[in-house]
Amino acid sequence: MSRRAPPGARTAAAASSGSTSSSALAAINTEDMCPVCKTIRYLNKDMEFLINPECYHSMCSNCVNRLFNDGPNQCPYAGCHRTLRRKGFRSAFFGDLAVEREVDIRRRVAAVFNQVEDDFETLRDYNNYLQMVEDLTFDLVSGTDAQRRAAEATLQQWEAEHKADIERNRKAGKEADEQSRRRLAAEREAARQRRFEALREAEEEKRERARSREEELDSLAQGEAGAAGGAQRVQLKKRGQAAASRAVEAAVKSDVAAADVGRLSIRGLKEKKKAPPPDGPYDPFGGLDFMPSRYKLRPGLTHPGVEKYKVDPAHITGGYNFDEYAARAMFEAFAGLGVFIEDEKEVGIGLSAGEVATMSAGIAAVGDKMELD
Amino acid sequence: MEFNIDDLPVLFPYPRIYPEQYAYMVDLKKTLDAGGNCVLEMPSGTGKTVTLLSLIVAYQQYYPSHRKLIYCSRTMSEIEKALVELKALMKFRAQRLGYEEEFRGLGLTSRKNLCLHPSVKREKSGNVVDARCRSLTAGFVKEKKEKGEEVEVCVYHDNLDLLEPHNLVPNGVWTLDGLLRYGEQHKQCPYFTARRMMQYCNVIIYSYHYLLDPKIAERVSKDLSKDCIVVFDEAHNIDNVCIESLSTDITEDSLRKATRGAQNLENRISEMRDSDQQKLQDEYEKLVEGLRGADDGRQEDSFMANPTLPDDLLKEAVPGNIRRAEHFVAFLRRFIEYLKTRMKVRQVISETPPSFLAHLKEHTFIEKKPLRFCAERLTSLVRTLELTNIEDYQPLQEVATFATLVATYEKGFLLILEPYESDTAEVPNPVLHFTCLDAAIAIKPVFDRFSSVIITSGTISPLEMYPKMLDFPTVVQESYSMTLARRSFLPMIVTRGSDQASISTSFQVRNEPSVVRNYGNLLTEFAKITPDGMVVFFPSYLYMESIISMWQGMGILDEVWKYKLILVETPDAQETSLALETYRTACCNGRGAVLLCVARGKVSEGIDFDHQYGRTVLCIGVPFQYTESRILKARLEFLRETYRIRENDFLSFDAMRHAAQCLGRVLRGKDDYGLMVLADRRFQKKRNQLPKWINQALLDADVNLSTDMAVSSARRFLKTMAQPFRAKDQEGISTWSMEDLKRHQQKMDEDRIKELQAQEEGESNPLPRTVDDGRESDYEMDDDDEAELMALHNDG
Repeated sequence: MSRRAPPGARTAAAASSGSTSSSALAAINTEDMCPVCKTIRYLNKDMEFLINPECYHSMCSNCVNRLFNDGPNQCPYAGCHRTLRRKGFRSAFFGDLAVEREVDIRRRVAAVFNQVEDDFETLRDYNNYLQMVEDLTFDLVSGTDAQRRAAEATLQQWEAEHKADIERNRKAGKEADEQSRRRLAAEREAARQRRFEALREAEEEKRERARSREEELDSLAQGEAGAAGGAQRVQLKKRGQAAASRAVEAAVKSDVAAADVGRLSIRGLKEKKKAPPPDGPYDPFGGLDFMPSRYKLRPGLTHPGVEKYKVDPAHITGGYNFDEYAARAMFEAFAGLGVFIEDEKEVGIGLSAGEVATMSAGIAAVGDKMELD
Repeated sequence: MEFNIDDLPVLFPYPRIYPEQYAYMVDLKKTLDAGGNCVLEMPSGTGKTVTLLSLIVAYQQYYPSHRKLIYCSRTMSEIEKALVELKALMKFRAQRLGYEEEFRGLGLTSRKNLCLHPSVKREKSGNVVDARCRSLTAGFVKEKKEKGEEVEVCVYHDNLDLLEPHNLVPNGVWTLDGLLRYGEQHKQCPYFTARRMMQYCNVIIYSYHYLLDPKIAERVSKDLSKDCIVVFDEAHNIDNVCIESLSTDITEDSLRKATRGAQNLENRISEMRDSDQQKLQDEYEKLVEGLRGADDGRQEDSFMANPTLPDDLLKEAVPGNIRRAEHFVAFLRRFIEYLKTRMKVRQVISETPPSFLAHLKEHTFIEKKPLRFCAERLTSLVRTLELTNIEDYQPLQEVATFATLVATYEKGFLLILEPYESDTAEVPNPVLHFTCLDAAIAIKPVFDRFSSVIITSGTISPLEMYPKMLDFPTVVQESYSMTLARRSFLPMIVTRGSDQASISTSFQVRNEPSVVRNYGNLLTEFAKITPDGMVVFFPSYLYMESIISMWQGMGILDEVWKYKLILVETPDAQETSLALETYRTACCNGRGAVLLCVARGKVSEGIDFDHQYGRTVLCIGVPFQYTESRILKARLEFLRETYRIRENDFLSFDAMRHAAQCLGRVLRGKDDYGLMVLADRRFQKKRNQLPKWINQALLDADVNLSTDMAVSSARRFLKTMAQPFRAKDQEGISTWSMEDLKRHQQKMDEDRIKELQAQEEGESNPLPRTVDDGRESDYEMDDDDEAELMALHNDG
């Protein structure tokens, strides 16, 4: 991305200075043409302007490569005799290069003059100090040569005199920065968390509502829309009471448990023997058990992939139980596992060694076994 | 009529009073006695203003403290109306009491409306008038004149200085027109008369902004004492006013202009350095000393005031690094350049003030503290430089205001940078929104400063939302129902078309032909039976346009055309006012007209459709806000996190207050009548959020109607309304004469005595509390709303 120098970037600061660097700044007023090779943006869409903090003359990246790839060279601007290196080039942050230069100087000044308000006895002293720094910066930015030299000298002198202070404040400043950054990050994280929480809550609520509606339908289907259930549903429907409803649910559960315990019981009464199982209806499978032996199906089995179908009306139509889906999937996943063809073959071979004729029967038996698993 | 409330004698300028007016007065007095805030909802068209004024004036005159009344309203016409009411009231009081009271009532509005200067008053734009007025009336202009220089001054303004400063106008109530006339006669400026007389007035009537917008409030309203009674009338939108007053938008264009402004400032400084070094030096000295404001005398002509709130006012001296004028200008320029650089980013950014400040400091070495003083320092500089063409510096002022705000508030604000105007736009047009999310910030100083703040409107339901959102305690929250001798308005909720298909403007179905046709049929049917005027509200301009073009294709408009003239509101104010004028003409003669307008537009707020101007109001769809707006999203999140107001609750509340506002347009008095039709399936669940007076009149038989049922019900209603109805019929029921009132008071007294006795007897078993807490589920949104919102979210 390119930084454009708006027309009128010419500033009084630049104009008042007689030095080569700032007077040349004034010449930069094109935003779409490289002042060196005169390429326009129309021909090179991703033209990027770079500057060198030596003289702040901007040129396109192609020019920089062309001129400075073979080592240090003179600035191509007429009248600017600075020697520039490829390494020094960077893209400007500000559109107005005078401001860019000022900020660079400020960076240098701020590294030295970094006293804080607590270092001064009165606010007024601090303000005077601030003004002194500002004056000095101004001299550096737009002063005459003499002023600049004087300011430079002051800067160095101050640095020498207050070395310890500067170091201390720098550390303190860094720490404060770090702290505030950490605080900001923490805040952002907390906000994110809260947002997520709220989303989740809303989702849960929605599901809750869907569930209660479903329950209602179910109970209607079973023809037992009891008053108690109705009351509970009303509770559930109320918004913003997810927690409350959970508590209510828990209470109801414990009530049920309590009812179980507190069922009329007479001490000493023998636990009634369970009546012998009546001869059940005819079992076409002859007692073959379809319960899987290798795994256990828990009720509420879920998987992220199928989660979304749980609320999809196309998948939860009446008469269809969603758990079937899991059961079926599990069955298919395990079908055939634990059947080792080699073993079976061996068995088969053993048999065949004895009697080749029964081979087909053996295979049939294997097939039977496979079905069972 | 004349009666007592407790010990307070009240003079009411009409021979009869409505029961709800009396109840309103009683509650108002309770609030004033207790010295707290209250939220009161009184049906529109039941004489709210006169009730308020007559009670508060009586209170003022009777008790020795003479608390001043500050009455804030929304529009010019409402201010003028209140002033006329006040004038009538005072006339009545003078007649009754037999002497004129020591009383002054004034209205204040912008310079544009109150200017008398022959050339300035011809300017169209308010900003230009302000700027030109300042250039004629500023303190230094007068000094120059006295020094004998040739400068233009305003005679009207300068004449004021010849008068006694506390007696610029005689006692009495001055309407805006009256003040203009008086000013013309005595050659004195009405605007400055009003401004300077404010502290000597008993009643001040002006716009919200003079109290809520901190940029203006500090200048205009800072001399008002603590015991003033502050009334916000028509306050249902007060949270939005608060937020707008603290939000700013910065565009690339305004930044360019601000750069130019900074350049001009710099030129002026160097000019002044050459010619009049002393002035700059003086200013500098004063800033060093930490004196606030270069001259304390005349604040009223200042260029801008500090946008932060009085209690945050910076008491200390301006920081050293922006003390000198050229330092400050360089500082501003750096800040503007930084903003320009930020604007070049091509993706949406939302940022909190602290993170913005951290980034700013990293790149420009601008600290928080000098940034906070930006606005104040700029004012001081502008004053020192004696700039006259102030309108050129408007963008610079905006930037300075933004700087001060961003450095002052860490919470409750958000910076949102939107590089494109819409999602589909290709050409970048970046806007930096600095939005206030917390309505409580702007209104906080009002609650802090004044002991009694009264918030009132015709539609301010649900009442508990406002104290929550604006963060203040209340003494009384009350909603009054409307006592009617006959059922004079018929609210209905239509949920289905004649073909029994449900109708709704929810996102998924709004453009389905069947829904559009059903709405069209509804419109046609009601156009057939409604006498005179009919107003139709749509949720948005966009939807209105699409539905109108679909109706045109279906031939529905041709059908409506047979019965009524069709007029449409547009975003353009002039076109709309023309449409309104035509509408009124059509309502007064011929078959009447249909006005199609938007629930959040100009028409829905502040324009009354009384009597024949509005017999039916048809609200098509629930007027939800545009939920894709990033600003709205940020605000919703803020409300959820800070005040525990859910997004959906707020959206639903906001939609319903606008719907109620639309419905209220049609009924402006007890002898008026009208139909109120809410046409959306979703209204059925939102019924509880309507104001009490509408909800009470909404019978169970009238909800969940289909079009044909609604039409037959409306027909029946209109037939009853056609029966003769005399004022006599209302007496004792919806209007009270003196005897009725006495009877009522006696009854109340007896009740209270009984209650006290009961209490004494049964101290051990106190009365059961009858506070209704079961309103939590009121804002329940149904699934469609949510689905719609989700759809919108997914869209973005």
